[in-house]
Amino acid sequence: MISVIKIFFAFLFVWIGTVTLVAQNLFDDQFNYARQLYNEGKYFDAVTEFKRLLFFNESKSYDYEANFFIGLSYKFGAKYSDAVRYFTLAEINYSTSDELFQTRTEIIKVNILRRTTHRALTLLDSLATDERFFNKMDEINYWRGWTYIFLDDWENASFSFSAIKANHQLAVFCDSLDNDLYSPQLAKILSIVPGAGQFYTGEYISGLISIGWNVLWGYLTINAFMEDRVFDGLMVGTLLWWRFYSGNIQNAEKFALEKNLEKTNSALRYLQNNYIGKKP
Amino acid sequence: MRKYLTLFFLIPPAILSQSTSFDFHSPENIKKFADYLFCEGDYLRAIEQYELVNEKLDNDTTKFKVMLGYSALGLYNESNEIFKGINDKSIFYPDANFLSFKNQLISEPGMINAPSIHSFNSFQLESFSKLTNISMLYEDKFNISRENFIAPFDAEELNQVSTFYDYKVEPPHKSPALAGTLSAIIPGSGKMYVGEWGDGITSLLVTSLFAFLAYDNFRADNTTRAWVFTGLGAFFYAGNIYGSVASAQIFNARIGFEFNNGLELFLKQQNYFLPEYDFCN
Repeated sequence: MISVIKIFFAFLFVWIGTVTLVAQNLFDDQFNYARQLYNEGKYFDAVTEFKRLLFFNESKSYDYEANFFIGLSYKFGAKYSDAVRYFTLAEINYSTSDELFQTRTEIIKVNILRRTTHRALTLLDSLATDERFFNKMDEINYWRGWTYIFLDDWENASFSFSAIKANHQLAVFCDSLDNDLYSPQLAKILSIVPGAGQFYTGEYISGLISIGWNVLWGYLTINAFMEDRVFDGLMVGTLLWWRFYSGNIQNAEKFALEKNLEKTNSALRYLQNNYIGKKP
Repeated sequence: MRKYLTLFFLIPPAILSQSTSFDFHSPENIKKFADYLFCEGDYLRAIEQYELVNEKLDNDTTKFKVMLGYSALGLYNESNEIFKGINDKSIFYPDANFLSFKNQLISEPGMINAPSIHSFNSFQLESFSKLTNISMLYEDKFNISRENFIAPFDAEELNQVSTFYDYKVEPPHKSPALAGTLSAIIPGSGKMYVGEWGDGITSLLVTSLFAFLAYDNFRADNTTRAWVFTGLGAFFYAGNIYGSVASAQIFNARIGFEFNNGLELFLKQQNYFLPEYDFCN
């Protein structure tokens, strides 16, 4: 009798196991199908299929992976708010600290891309102070560097990359760009001598025009005072000379900012198209 | 014992056959999934899924949801295309009909000329009157008495609707010709008329200053300088007239823009007088 019961339970175990396996295989197939769509770059369809899997899979066994890949698909489609939402859902369902770290870094990368860089820095700070991730400091510093790049703070970016390795490729790149940038403050100070700020930024014609206007209105102002035409002198001095003098300072600052923007945009384009390492 | 044994051996195969026959893409499952997506607010995917099963599970609820989805996505013409396929005997027909008016008003702002339908209930009839009256504000020709215009609206809407009415009947426009003439007589006064007091005073001071400098230099026989200041004065004087005309035109354009924006905001706040549809609870 005992052996019959044993055989019965053995059969039962095998049957239930088979049923569970078959059901699981269905979800595995669905997951693989969605992954295939993702790998083919069909992100819209991939999101649909991952969502279908999440909807029908009541065992929640794919809640981390499916939400994570939905987040990635939305990220590739530049739907950043949706991406953060699904990465957060993945984060809720993490099972290992690696998975947790992976979702958080993805959220940080989305924040970098949508230029909510201060949020990215806050999240990086929280990762850096979490003892579970003390062994991942290099990666934290790496994304901190990228955050500073998107904050247009190349000096701190270089500092963050240097914390990984003294001559890190990106640290060298950021350093060289930072040295190459014009200082808007210096351009303004140089413009105390009309035209000098423009010369500093390489805008020679603009510098010459600035010198010309300031010499003309300066001469007329001084001449008016020399001839005791005080009212004329005050009017030309304040309405014309001062206007052109202050314009020359603003102009120099504007040139420095514009040139810097060109340089940083070109650096970002270079990184986007030529840099082989990990990018947000 | 035999009974239990039979049961134990029959249940798993039954479950197995169910599991193996589970089809993610069966029409029923696609519809379930589409309903879930619709409730999630993922209208684009929900519509895509509904359209996959539309022929097999043809029903007006689904069509109306697709219509709502398209409208929520801002695809108003597509939404109205779906309306054409909704049977006029359907319980959703009056709602769909009303939704089509909303779509029409957003995609082509103008007066709603369609008559109300007999299947409208009292709420829909009242909403229809409100939407029709509001749609009149988009027309250039506007001749309806205040009483008739505000009649369908509730007490809390009256204030806003009366403001729209007054705005439409007597728009607070500024005359560009008057602004230009005023500035020609007293520099800057055209700008002040438009409400740009700072610019007006600056124009008056600068033009007067150059006029004085020109006069003073002519008097002192500094002819060259006098002509330079005359030229500058004339330039500022002409600029002040042109600027006043332009300011009046910009003011009027801004008034029109703000009126349309305010109207759009009001309609959005009122959800175009549509009820809230709840298909998810």
